[in-house]
Amino acid sequence: MKHFLNVLAAALLACSATSFAQNKPAEKPIINPAPTAKDWADIGKLPDWSGVWNPNISDQDKQHVTNPPPWNAKAAARIQFQQAELKAGRPTPLFVNCLPEGHPSWMMISHNALEILFTPGRVTMLGESDGGRLRRIYTDGRGHPLDPDPTFHGHSIGKWEGNVLVIDTIGVLPQSYIAPSEAHGIPNNGDMHTLERIWVEKDVMHVYMKITAPNVLTKPYETTRYYFRQRARKFDIVEGVCQEGYFAPRIDKDGYHVYEPQPHDVGGNRIPPK
Amino acid sequence: MKTALKQTLCMSALLGLGAAAYPVSAHHSTTMFAHDKVVSISGVVKEVHWTNPHVAIYVEGAAKGDKPATWVLEMTSPGNLMRAGTWKRNSFKPGDKVDVDMAPLREGGKGGALKKITNTESGMSLNANLREQEGVVEK
Repeated sequence: MKHFLNVLAAALLACSATSFAQNKPAEKPIINPAPTAKDWADIGKLPDWSGVWNPNISDQDKQHVTNPPPWNAKAAARIQFQQAELKAGRPTPLFVNCLPEGHPSWMMISHNALEILFTPGRVTMLGESDGGRLRRIYTDGRGHPLDPDPTFHGHSIGKWEGNVLVIDTIGVLPQSYIAPSEAHGIPNNGDMHTLERIWVEKDVMHVYMKITAPNVLTKPYETTRYYFRQRARKFDIVEGVCQEGYFAPRIDKDGYHVYEPQPHDVGGNRIPPK
Repeated sequence: MKTALKQTLCMSALLGLGAAAYPVSAHHSTTMFAHDKVVSISGVVKEVHWTNPHVAIYVEGAAKGDKPATWVLEMTSPGNLMRAGTWKRNSFKPGDKVDVDMAPLREGGKGGALKKITNTESGMSLNANLREQEGVVEK
């Protein structure tokens, strides 16, 4: 009986504690303040990163050979397999079904242009092609969330050191590739952290990256990627809906413009008619 | 670094030399195309798909001495093509008579990565080389 009463008392205590927890007032939400006139004026003091930025693809090709990531043995074996497949004309499909290249591969090997917007407390990178290509880099002094939901581009916080934007990124999906080329890449497999330093000299944007990915690399991978600026209006960024290429424009029997699915391979290439 | 790992990395780097010369396109590798070969066809443009991530031109044509067929010619994205040269969505239109050079599909289908296309009536010719615009990059 005494044992029964002890159990009952413990149960009541537990119920009481649960009830208390449920009634505990919610934490006060953090409010993002409205930007002030000074905040907008301070934007004008930042370096000029306007224009359209195109990646230097030749340098990407070169670094694929001269500066490979320091893969661990397991990852290196897979890269070697991918290389053999590539030589045989069967490149490993990495960026499939229009999923984003993600971080850090976008910055490493994209062939598409990007633009960068400054607003108070934030730097935003917008990429052409595959519509999800977007990075929000918070420069309002916040830290990372303790346990961010993983995303393709992770959670990025930045600060200015003179004309250099320093970006710290965590929370990238473990499936997101570290890809030295479009046919070679290894999922980062979680716990990845990247540090970037970005600056502009003479219409060339330098993107230094230090990628720490302890599950696939033996040590941090350091690389600098280059983008060149184009200012001609005819080079402005255009819409790039990746899945558009899976369809052909047609006119249906009622005269409406419609899309008709097209046979394509996993990488998006149209399959020729037999 | 362990010797085996070092050997693996060196092997990867050396093997990569072969791939570096390939003019890969947006979003995925184009090594399903034999970039060391050129197939030339003459024909008539059937359709132009000015779409992301890859523009495609369908040409009803044939290589010399071959039977006519529908060929699918892949390129990079519209934005990239506009920056790489003087491409516009209507640079080539259905009905245009064209000569085409392509890197053919390795598996032998009627498709390829477009290298150069010429309107045989106007003489206007365009290619799809992204790297030509890079110039010298100061580091």
